[in-house]
Amino acid sequence: MQVTLDKLSKSFGPVQVLHDLSMVVEEGEFLVLLGPSGCGKTTALRMIAGLEEVTSGRVHIGDRDVTDILPKYRDAAMVFQSYALYPHKTVAENIGYPLKLRKVPPPERDKTVREVAAQVQLEDYLTRYPRELSGGQRQRVALARAIIRRPAVFLMDEPLSNLDAKLRVHMRAELKHMQNTLGTTTIYVTHDQVEAMTLAHRVAILNHGRLMQFDQPKTIYRDPANLFVASFIGSPPMNMVDGNLSNGEFTGPGFAHTLGKDLSVGPAVIGFRPEDCSVVAAGNGLIPAEIYSNELIGDHTLVTCELHDSSAAPHTVTVKMDKDFEAEMGAQIAIAIDPAHLYFFERESGNRVRV
Amino acid sequence: MTAAAPNQPKGLYAKLFEPKRLGIMAPGTSVLVYAGLLFWTIVVLFPLYWLLVTSFKLPIDVNEGPRYLPFVDYEPSLHAWDYLLVEVGGDTFRPYVNSVIIAAISTILAVLAGSMAAYALARITYKPRFASILSFVVGIIAVIVLTVVAGVPWWLSLIVGLAIFALLARTVARRFRARLGNGDILFWMISQRILPPVIVAVPVYVMFQRIGLLDTHIAMIITYATVNLPIVVWLMHDFFLSIPRDLDESAEMDGATKFQIFFDIVLPLAKPGIAATSLLVLVLAWNEYLLALFLSSVDAQTMPLLVAAQNATRGPQWWSMSVLILLMIIPVVLIALALQRFIAKGLLVGAVKG
Ligand SMILES: Nc1ncnc2c1ncn2[C@@H]1O[C@H](COP(=O)(O)OP(=O)(O)OP(=O)(O)O)[C@@H](O)[C@H]1O
Ligand SMILES: [Mg+2]
Repeated sequence: MQVTLDKLSKSFGPVQVLHDLSMVVEEGEFLVLLGPSGCGKTTALRMIAGLEEVTSGRVHIGDRDVTDILPKYRDAAMVFQSYALYPHKTVAENIGYPLKLRKVPPPERDKTVREVAAQVQLEDYLTRYPRELSGGQRQRVALARAIIRRPAVFLMDEPLSNLDAKLRVHMRAELKHMQNTLGTTTIYVTHDQVEAMTLAHRVAILNHGRLMQFDQPKTIYRDPANLFVASFIGSPPMNMVDGNLSNGEFTGPGFAHTLGKDLSVGPAVIGFRPEDCSVVAAGNGLIPAEIYSNELIGDHTLVTCELHDSSAAPHTVTVKMDKDFEAEMGAQIAIAIDPAHLYFFERESGNRVRV
Repeated sequence: MTAAAPNQPKGLYAKLFEPKRLGIMAPGTSVLVYAGLLFWTIVVLFPLYWLLVTSFKLPIDVNEGPRYLPFVDYEPSLHAWDYLLVEVGGDTFRPYVNSVIIAAISTILAVLAGSMAAYALARITYKPRFASILSFVVGIIAVIVLTVVAGVPWWLSLIVGLAIFALLARTVARRFRARLGNGDILFWMISQRILPPVIVAVPVYVMFQRIGLLDTHIAMIITYATVNLPIVVWLMHDFFLSIPRDLDESAEMDGATKFQIFFDIVLPLAKPGIAATSLLVLVLAWNEYLLALFLSSVDAQTMPLLVAAQNATRGPQWWSMSVLILLMIIPVVLIALALQRFIAKGLLVGAVKG
């Protein structure tokens, strides 16, 4: 079902942690709420769930205004950051609890529990207690307990955050597959951009309780709306170089770049992704620099270059090069960038300057 | 400059009082600790031993005592047991049953009501206005003054009192900002147990006398449950706080009502707390003497009163007292053993990750 947030705000006492959050999550969509720690993701999710009172604004699930109704009447299921399994109940009892509360007769309940357990590969663990399970298995119990009800909306709060890296990749794929099979609208909270990019149909990026950008992962990556999104998304992050943009020319430390358009914004930031630039011989590319260090990652090399910046503190940018790339530390080089992949931002507001 | 690690001390003192490894006691320390424990065990167990041997003594063995060892010092006799359990068996049996009924039911009531109150205080934020509480007190005073001084029928003054409370609370009290919190409520409850209960003994006596419930089980049960309620609330509150709120919220999302959350999720997890609290409250009710002295005479007489009565008519009957006290100790020990397995920790393992 569609979930609509209309100017949702939340204050804890005098502190406002969520500012006028508005968005429409389409039926069957996998939405990821992404943002740094403390930006208000959990708070937003809990408000949709009904576990947290809204300060102002409305929440709609389907065409129902659920702002003032109890969580259990919202038809949303939540997977908690902590899993919140009932430790005194077996796996089967945990999974079947929502059905028990709905007075589903035991034989039918058992059957459904078995089916759902099979879906998350837990058939062999039904009589165990949560303490006898591994982290990934507990996570799957939490997931099974959420899907057994066939709710209108799934709410998930960093369900993968405590798993080890390998299991996380595995569960990510399972989650995506399951959501696709069930077709249930899902709102998923994470601070891990890889999770966001891989899982989401659309990503909503939050910072300090404000919506920064709400779009498809590839759009967010290719066409960030502002400095925050540009520097938050991407690993290693986008290189940012301070400078000045006036009369259609950006001037940075030791270089100048002429734009096609006559623009003047004053203090500005030029951004480019590590994979959109390359190290070339001194005197050739756009930005003169010196090799600071290079690290072979595996299929590529990350080269850190120091800009010739007399005024400010040492300024480095990262360039992603071929795995065969080799260079002496301290060698004088230049960085060449495809002009199509340059981004400009106003320094104060962080807004994107489109050229 | 670097700070060097302290040198390893040598000599007798170090040998005795430095443990060889972490996590064990040094030899000297263990000797001291076990000596202390042994001493204290004797202090605790000797009275029990003395009760046991005294219950088999004839009056002469007591009066010409002290005699320590049965069969050696004196010839044990079953006369006290025989007298209390057979000759006047009914008079022993009745208070015994009374004690069991009163202690058990009052404990169940106190633990049930108290843990629900404690749960509410642990999960719901209360912020009553201080002025509203004052309005309530004013209402109560009005009821008392009207009934006692002005002779108005009690139901009429009750209505007037409630009206005064409602009026004040909705008008004047709203202008005052000061509010109490959960902590204040909790402290208010436990403060009811800070004063010695004897303070309420006379009013409680008069109250039950007026409504004709003196010397009944129900009066004793109500009194004991009420008196023990604050202890239950206080102890259980902490246990409920230690249960992650996520579990409540998860159950709420699963569709449970507050009562289902309490009885399905929270209470089973609070078992260790319930067991410990029940045991404490049960023992308090089982041994209570002062209020029982006021509220019961024959029909609802409890064991502590019977024990004390052995002192009354013919001088202290130590042998009879010993028998009765032993009879009183047995069920407590049995219940403590039964509950012990619940008073184990670790129930929450697996609830939350990390
Ligand atoms: N009950 C509360 N009382 C006061 N402030 C709160 C409360 N809950 C959250 N906050 C504040 O609201 C802000 C947002 O918190 P929230 O838990 O939503 O962050 P988050 O985005 O989920 O972070 P994380 O990724 O670390 O989980 C934080 O600054 C936090 O300190
Ligand atoms: Mg969070």
